[in-house]
Amino acid sequence: MKIFRLRTILLSCSCLLAVPFLSLAQTSDPPASSSQDAQKPAVPQDQKAAQNKPQPESQQPATKPSGDLPTAPSSSKTEPSLEDLGFSATQAQGDAKRQALLDKRTHMLKIHQRMGLIAAIPITASVITSVGAGGKDTSKASRDLHAALGGLAGDLYFISAYYAIRAPRVPGTETRGPIRFHKAMAWIHGPGMIATPILGIMAFDQKNKGEKVHGIAQAHGPVAIVTAGAFGAALLSVSLKF
Amino acid sequence: MTPLTKIAACLLLVFPPLASAGDSQWTLQQGTLTYHVSHKLHESEGVSHEVRGKGICHAGQCDFLIAVPVKSFDSGDSNRDLHMIQVTRGAQFPMVTVRTKLPESASTSATIQADLEIQFAGQTVQYKQVSFQLVTKDNQIRITGTIPATLTDFKIDPPSLLTLPVKNEIPVRIDLTWRSQ
Repeated sequence: MKIFRLRTILLSCSCLLAVPFLSLAQTSDPPASSSQDAQKPAVPQDQKAAQNKPQPESQQPATKPSGDLPTAPSSSKTEPSLEDLGFSATQAQGDAKRQALLDKRTHMLKIHQRMGLIAAIPITASVITSVGAGGKDTSKASRDLHAALGGLAGDLYFISAYYAIRAPRVPGTETRGPIRFHKAMAWIHGPGMIATPILGIMAFDQKNKGEKVHGIAQAHGPVAIVTAGAFGAALLSVSLKF
Repeated sequence: MTPLTKIAACLLLVFPPLASAGDSQWTLQQGTLTYHVSHKLHESEGVSHEVRGKGICHAGQCDFLIAVPVKSFDSGDSNRDLHMIQVTRGAQFPMVTVRTKLPESASTSATIQADLEIQFAGQTVQYKQVSFQLVTKDNQIRITGTIPATLTDFKIDPPSLLTLPVKNEIPVRIDLTWRSQ
């Protein structure tokens, strides 16, 4: 009877001691290291193929099974998932509509930037040619050139402005940083770009009639300078860090 | 109580804790990720404090997952941040995840070399042997280091300003404080 009890105890001990060792079979080897590959990306995996498939709105790499998804609940004890971190499935879910909105916004703002840069050339040129646009002659080539440059500047400016105004807004976005100054300047150069040509036409007509520029048309020069200054400041505010 | 019952009771009390002694968890207490972008006219940085992470250790091996929403990076300019989300396809792939496996013993080292698997912008990229510095204090470990990421790794078209593209290198600084549980 004593022998039987002893055997039972030994058998129980063996089973209990074996339990921790059995679980070692589930561990994986540590990642192999290679000094040649140090700090270099090893395997970029293109997920574009996955994006074109019927389930395009997740971060799932094309080559990995769904069980390895970071968004999926962890199937193994040693693989934390996004849900384990407290991120909901909604937070991890892609939004194709929002991406399309951002793409459209960027596309339109790129055109805005390009047209604004091009507009800066005739705006600068019209400011420079304004020096020779005065005088008492009823007809003067430099005055015509100034008027033509002003007209071109206005056209390019309003094309640029159109793309900025029509670029879609992204809901839930608060405007911060230099873009606030850039937008504030639009409240100066926007009305300025409407007023300047109107005042310019009035001044142009008065000059061509041999009259001295008078009345509200006298404001053409100062308004143009302020407008050009605000435009330049708006351009620089998003180009240079200050 | 018979001797057998006593021994069985002792074994039950002693061995279950031993069997699970290898399992522990690390939780990210606080973290900061900072990307750096260089342009001929600008140097800018985007910072996120919304990083979350967890490490599960089993049999001496720890699996870590660190994740951060793409939209949480703040460069101080909302226009730039929106553009960043657009070029990195951050609305379609809203999370950046970093996975790594480390031996549990690494927590006692001053520096570690980690193999990282990063999912970002719809791409999965592995970086081998990235160096991190560890500072241990009480029950916490502070890990700092830089991931040498580039735009081409993640197939991101470099954004441009005044027709000049930004540099390809976008190093990401990491500052994470982990607590053992």
